[in-house]
Amino acid sequence: MGLEDQLQENVMTTKVDAMVGWARKNSLWPMPFGTACCAIELMATLASRFDLARFGAEAIRFSPRQSDLLVVSGRVSIKMMPVLKKIYDQMPEPKWVISMGACASSGGVFNTYTLVQGVDQYIPVDVYIPGCPPRPENVIQALIKIQEKVAQAKAN
Amino acid sequence: MGNEVENHEEHRAEGVGQHGRSGSEPGNVTTRIRARYGDAAVRGGNAVGCESVIAERDTHLPFMTFLKDDPELSFDYLVDVTAVDRLQLDEEIRFAVVYQLYSYKHNRRFSVSVPVPEADPWIGSVVSVWPGANWLEREVYDMYGIVFEGHPDLRRILMPDDFGSHPLRKDYPLHGKGERDNFVF
Ligand code: SF4
Repeated sequence: MGLEDQLQENVMTTKVDAMVGWARKNSLWPMPFGTACCAIELMATLASRFDLARFGAEAIRFSPRQSDLLVVSGRVSIKMMPVLKKIYDQMPEPKWVISMGACASSGGVFNTYTLVQGVDQYIPVDVYIPGCPPRPENVIQALIKIQEKVAQAKAN
Repeated sequence: MGNEVENHEEHRAEGVGQHGRSGSEPGNVTTRIRARYGDAAVRGGNAVGCESVIAERDTHLPFMTFLKDDPELSFDYLVDVTAVDRLQLDEEIRFAVVYQLYSYKHNRRFSVSVPVPEADPWIGSVVSVWPGANWLEREVYDMYGIVFEGHPDLRRILMPDDFGSHPLRKDYPLHGKGERDNFVF
C-alpha cells in the first residue's frame, strides 16, 4: 500500500517469530559440558582456525543461566548425570542441546557398568554428532542444524 | 638377567652422582629386613626386577613403619596402594593389597604385597604412617571392598555413595548389575 512507498527501503515488514528466530540463531550462547576428549575438539572449533564466531556462537558461557545451547561433549557417568541434569534444568527457556560424539550419544566404546549409554535417556537432545571425536566441521554442521531449528521456533 | 638389570641401575645411580652408594647395592632391602625379622619374613623375592616381599596382615603395620623409619631403608614416599583380585589365579587367598614404596634418600623402590582373604576382607590402614595413603585406600575400598581398619574417613571415592558393588572384583560383570540403567537422582 501507500505506506511502503513512503518508507521505501528503510523498513522491512516481517513476523515477530521470524525476527526473533533470526536474532536468536545468530547469537547462540553455548554452555560446554566437556567431560572428555570431545571437549578438546570443541575448543578447536571455537579457536581461530575454525572460528565459531562466524556463526555468532563464540560467547561460551560457563554459567547455565546465561546460555541457551548445551553441548554435551564427552562421557557422562552415572555419578555425573545428576550434574548434567541440574545444569540443563538451570538453563532458561528456550534451550537446545547438542550431543557431541559417540560417548554422549550412545556410550561409545565404553559399554561398561558406570557409563550412561546415551544422555538422551535423561535430557532431550536436538542434534547428535557422530564421530570419535567429531571433526570441527561436524560441529559446525551441527550448529547450522541447530540454527535451522532455532529459526523455526516460536518466539514466546 | 636380573643381575644385569640391577647392575645397570647401580651404574645409573653412580652416573648421576647419587649419594649413599651402599643404598644401591642389590638385595640390600631384603638383607636389612632379614636382619631385623629373620628369614621367615622374606618371602616373595623379585618381581619384574623390583625387590618385593609378601607381608602378613597381622603384623604389617609395624612392618610398614619399620620400612619408613629405618634409616637404612627410609621409604618415605608411598607411591601407590592397589589391590589384586586373584580369583582366577591359582591362589589360596583371594585378594592382595600391594604397596609401592620409594625412598628419596636412597633412590630405591620396593613393593610389599599383603594377602587378604575374601571371607573377612580387612587390613590395617597405613594413613598413620604415610598420610598420602588416605585417598589411595579409599579407592581400594571402593573398587575391591577391602576395609582399611583405622582409616580416618573410609568412604567411596569414585563410585556414587549408594553404589552397591565393588566393580574391580573379578566376579563383577563388565556391564554392571543394572546400575547404569536404573539409578535415581
Ligand atoms: S566420542 Fe571419542 S573423542 Fe568423544 S568423548 Fe568419547 S572417546 Fe572421547
